[in-house]
Amino acid sequence: MAARPRVYRAEGVILRRRNLGEADSILTVFSGHEGKFEAIARGVRKARSRMRGHLEPLTRSRVLVAQGRNLDVFTQAETVDAYRRLRESLDASAEALYCLELVDRFTVEREPLPDLYALLVTALDLLEAGNGAAVTRHFELRLLALLGYEPHVDGCVLCGERLPEEETLLSPAAGGLVCRRCRAEAGGGRIVAVPVVKLMRFARRATAAEFVALAAPPEVAQELRAAVADLVRYHLDRDPNARRFVEGVSALERKD
Amino acid sequence: MPEAGAPEPIARLIQEFSKLPGIGPKSAQRLAYHVLRAPEDDARALARALTDVKEHVVLCDTCFNITVRNPCTLCDDEQRDRSLVCVVEQPLDVLVVERTGGFRGLYHVLHGSLNPIDGVGPEQLRIQELLRRVEGGGVVEVIMATNPSLEGEATSMYVQRLLQPLGIRVTRLARGLPSGADIEYMDDLTLSRALEGRQEL
Repeated sequence: MAARPRVYRAEGVILRRRNLGEADSILTVFSGHEGKFEAIARGVRKARSRMRGHLEPLTRSRVLVAQGRNLDVFTQAETVDAYRRLRESLDASAEALYCLELVDRFTVEREPLPDLYALLVTALDLLEAGNGAAVTRHFELRLLALLGYEPHVDGCVLCGERLPEEETLLSPAAGGLVCRRCRAEAGGGRIVAVPVVKLMRFARRATAAEFVALAAPPEVAQELRAAVADLVRYHLDRDPNARRFVEGVSALERKD
Repeated sequence: MPEAGAPEPIARLIQEFSKLPGIGPKSAQRLAYHVLRAPEDDARALARALTDVKEHVVLCDTCFNITVRNPCTLCDDEQRDRSLVCVVEQPLDVLVVERTGGFRGLYHVLHGSLNPIDGVGPEQLRIQELLRRVEGGGVVEVIMATNPSLEGEATSMYVQRLLQPLGIRVTRLARGLPSGADIEYMDDLTLSRALEGRQEL
């Protein structure tokens, strides 16, 4: 780990909070330059804390952090964006929480990932602007790509053959699409329709805004969601906790 | 960890005290030796209070507040307005709202707030119980008094969506400046909501 100055600045998104003792919290921040890090916010649970509102999870803040013996300590915090509209929407909050959990689970501490940070901020900005689940799909696919888990979607990942325009096997274990002949060696997967493959290809070159603007039909979006969930589950070795919440919230909406 | 050399009963007491929140090994030691020096009656009273709390305190079947009788005194009070239900996260929150003296309705304690990332979902809270209670009829307004945090807000919005089809009024507490605060250090979210909720002087 590179030596950090005794007091350093960071701009980041607060990923999560856990309480410590009577009035303190340990916050996990994801910043571009410091990467993910944890620090203590002292007295932040008291009503008169000056930093409290600035260190809520799902807030983008500028912080000043002092190195401590064990954990670093926040000394100042100022909100850059509180994502107010996002917080006022249950669906957007659920999507955002899912994105935060992905970042938390896929990253290690103190590894600078400026591109991933920019991606996260873009996703949150788009959710704040009123966009829905498509933001998360683009975020997931780009996160996988940035961290080296990009699925191969140009041809068969096993033999390199071009793929005809038909339903294809997406195999997380093989690392991408697999042609008919190689299916037996792919180690399982999910058959995905042509539009899903096209969306995955489009996500590689499209910005988040372009991807969201495409507005895929609900059944395609649903299938893409399941396909990307397979990839995430494979690389994380589990489902993120927040996925259940996202699904529960959207199920509630369909009922009424 | 118990001190080396402390006799076994004391070591055990230290061990038990150190399980309490906010009590480190040193405090646990101090408490244990205090109990040792205290009059026998005091020690017995403490022991009895500890066992009583586990034996006699239950959750009210209606509001899920902690109580010694079921239904609890609040739910049983004929003077209270049954059409108003104030939803809080913790039993302690009931006491705080009661202390204001400004609320004459009933309560519902969820026992937590939604925290999707840590895996706390609706099924871990008393949310279905609230739905059934409201479906039972007589409730006109549900007041969400969850914490103004990400988790608390998510909980409120979730409950609101769940209750929406029933056509009852779901409100939430106003957000604004806490007394004694400094505007200079106020976060944007609170300040902008306080600005919206401003009132004629």
